[in-house]
Amino acid sequence: MALAYHTELYLFVFLPLVVLVYHFSSQKMRRAVLILAGYIFFWSFSQWLVGYLIAVSGLVYGAGRWMEQLKETGKARSKGLPSKERSAVKKQYKAKEKKVLIAGIVILLGILAYLKYCNFFIQNINRIFAASGSGFHLNPQNLLIPIGISFYTLEAIGYMADVYWGRIKAEHNFGKVALFLGFFPQIMEGPISSWNDTADALWECRPVRSENLTKGIIRIAWGLFKKIVVADRLSVLVAAIYDDYTSYHGVMIVVVAIAYTLQLYMEFSGCMDIVIGSGNLFGVDLPENFRQPFFAGNASEFWRRWHITLGAWLKAYVFYPVSVSGLVKKWNHFARKHVGKYLTKMGIFAMTLFPVWMCNGLWHGAQWNYILYGMYYFVILLAGEAVAPVREMVLERFHLDCHALYWRVPQILKTWMIIFTGEMFFRAEGAAAGFHMFRSIFQGFELQKLWDGTLLGMGLNAADFAAVGFGILIVAVADILKERKLLNWDKLQEMKLPVRWILYYGLIFAVLLLGAYGTGYQQVDLIYAGF
Amino acid sequence: MQDFKQKMRTLKKPAVFLAIFLCLILILSAFFVNMAKKHPEFVQSRNRPWLNIQNEKKNSIDVLVLGDSESYTTFSPLEIWKQNGIASFVCGQTGQEVEETYYMLRRALRTQEPKVVVFETNSMFQPQNAAEGFSKTIAQTVNYYFPVFLLHSMWQNWLMGPEKQQVYYKGFVVRDIVEPYDGGSYMEKTERREYMSRAVRSYMDKMLAMCREKGISVILYSAPSPNNYNYAKHNTLTDYAEQNGAEYLDFNLMTEELGIDWEKDSLDNGDHLNVLGAEKLSRYFGSYLEEHYDLEDHRKDPEYSSWNEDVQKYQNAEKNAIRKIEVILEYLRKKKQK
Repeated sequence: MALAYHTELYLFVFLPLVVLVYHFSSQKMRRAVLILAGYIFFWSFSQWLVGYLIAVSGLVYGAGRWMEQLKETGKARSKGLPSKERSAVKKQYKAKEKKVLIAGIVILLGILAYLKYCNFFIQNINRIFAASGSGFHLNPQNLLIPIGISFYTLEAIGYMADVYWGRIKAEHNFGKVALFLGFFPQIMEGPISSWNDTADALWECRPVRSENLTKGIIRIAWGLFKKIVVADRLSVLVAAIYDDYTSYHGVMIVVVAIAYTLQLYMEFSGCMDIVIGSGNLFGVDLPENFRQPFFAGNASEFWRRWHITLGAWLKAYVFYPVSVSGLVKKWNHFARKHVGKYLTKMGIFAMTLFPVWMCNGLWHGAQWNYILYGMYYFVILLAGEAVAPVREMVLERFHLDCHALYWRVPQILKTWMIIFTGEMFFRAEGAAAGFHMFRSIFQGFELQKLWDGTLLGMGLNAADFAAVGFGILIVAVADILKERKLLNWDKLQEMKLPVRWILYYGLIFAVLLLGAYGTGYQQVDLIYAGF
Repeated sequence: MQDFKQKMRTLKKPAVFLAIFLCLILILSAFFVNMAKKHPEFVQSRNRPWLNIQNEKKNSIDVLVLGDSESYTTFSPLEIWKQNGIASFVCGQTGQEVEETYYMLRRALRTQEPKVVVFETNSMFQPQNAAEGFSKTIAQTVNYYFPVFLLHSMWQNWLMGPEKQQVYYKGFVVRDIVEPYDGGSYMEKTERREYMSRAVRSYMDKMLAMCREKGISVILYSAPSPNNYNYAKHNTLTDYAEQNGAEYLDFNLMTEELGIDWEKDSLDNGDHLNVLGAEKLSRYFGSYLEEHYDLEDHRKDPEYSSWNEDVQKYQNAEKNAIRKIEVILEYLRKKKQK
């Protein structure tokens, strides 16, 4: 895949070249270097569609400036007016701003929806007509989707909404907007950052520093370790079972659900390490997307630790606006009088979370299983909230400590089961396949398949499993240390140089020797690049 | 200038880190190569030709063959040795890409001085865009200079015991299966030319130039394979050979002359040849080489005594393979009658 983050071309040619050119350029030129690098990166995947990214940057920039102008005009016109009239003028201009914002969002989401969901709708319309016996048939469109559209579209909407809400000022320099949306390490898989997260640091174009280089390189190596040693091997096992899921049942479905979850974690978080490490080389700290997700005690906490920036975006730009919307306010007003506090709260919870999880599912793509995935978490979170009073009561009645291991461990294990089940549906080829797999767990469990050699017939040999086990162990230890705050990337930098370098070389050689690359392996495309 | 010096100073520490890394990689590469030579059984089958050519006696090979699976299933050096006494060797690998071919040739030429280099042409039509070509170039260059990248998976066989190894007879693999090809004629005349990617063309040019420089004759050959060849490819290869002063043998147009029987000689429904087909092609190739090139008959040369021992092993394998093919053919005949 062209310049994908895990390819030789990106790691050994493109990235070092950009760093070198950036390093030896003046500060002003560095900005141009990064913008140009972003467009070259984009070009390598989508060629002329790079025009779309530039157009989005232009649209967002223009919308921001327009809203700013309306704000200023509104302010100027309301100046000196009596309070009532002032408020009316302000309202009038806010409404105009809203129109600009909505127009911007509609254009961006319209294009996104057309490119990503058009064929989904066509397929479903065809299904409905086929079921009704009608001969009506729409031909699926052959559409080219620009790389990373789901990621920078959200950043673009976030920027416009922030300008509208007055959280940030509209940017006057087009280059800064272009760099914010087109910083090459973020284009393909995020993290989805807000303007306040990265725009200033990117535009500052700090000089390259030796400690940032080593920090970045080692973070990239850590990401490669997760991807090449663990995820790429697990992908073989996962594909073997998913491609022929009707032939498997019982423990094998459980195995593949766990394997896929681990693959996704190692791959996506590994890619984020490469991305964040790439950012570090330019002195930019991109937002973290993962925070030891397997230590979560419930589904809600899991989503605060897994794909954090998507969750944060949905919270800021879907959950928050819905929470303060007229509908929720009306319900609150009505329900408090008629259904009591508990049901009022549950109602608000459902009304605010439903759009969040519907958007989460749809964002991943136009497939029923993604919608199902979103709804799955909606129901689980709603159920968690519904039983919260009971949980509180049990804790209080039996004087239990919710931070103690006896409580925390079962909670974590329960969350694992929720996660594994969710990911099983997520990976399935459609909702029907997901349900089929779920049902087949209970059709002859056959635990012996774990040791009777069945697993060795899935494209991985015992040495591969040993490498996967070793990789998972190392990542688990690192996650435990991070969770207990005994280790983080900055602490690593503070270690004495020989210790640090030994650790660095150890990691790099582990990737080199244990990596699933070369003879017998195929390069595995990044999963989230497809979303 | 001051600023430039400052900037260079920033790179000092990472440069030291990188320099130590390179030294460690070189040490590790030497260790792995040594290990591979001592324990070839730990080297993955696909990488064995890389090792085997290095293990051949220095300057003992007169004809070197390169290419993908079409090469090592069709060109049998020991068959040619039996008939003509020509010392040839196949460095073909499954799905060998042109970048791999290039570095395989360079590696072989470190220890051998062949008079003829033969390229099987199937890999010349692998689709490769510029980015893919560049990526593969990086990977193969790294493999060439730092073989630890090529051999890194040896630990798996060391840990789990050697995998079931492919047996190579001077690079040839005896294929003992038969699956007839029944698709009929496939070389319909046309003026069309099949596209050969720029990346492939540039590597071929480089290899041909290298051979020219060393005074090595070049033959391009297309193994009989209905699944892989057509007349448009024939046209492209004819043009290419003409432009570059190489010889081109298209066995797809010579199947009758070779006596290829698609009922018996096809390994997998027209993709590769089995040992019966390979025998026919190799005998023809042996005679052709003897007739057109000044190649020595080494059969009585004591330096090549081990080749005669290898022939014995090869003949046994060949006999067993033919027996197995006959059984399969008998089964297929009975199945057809039913």
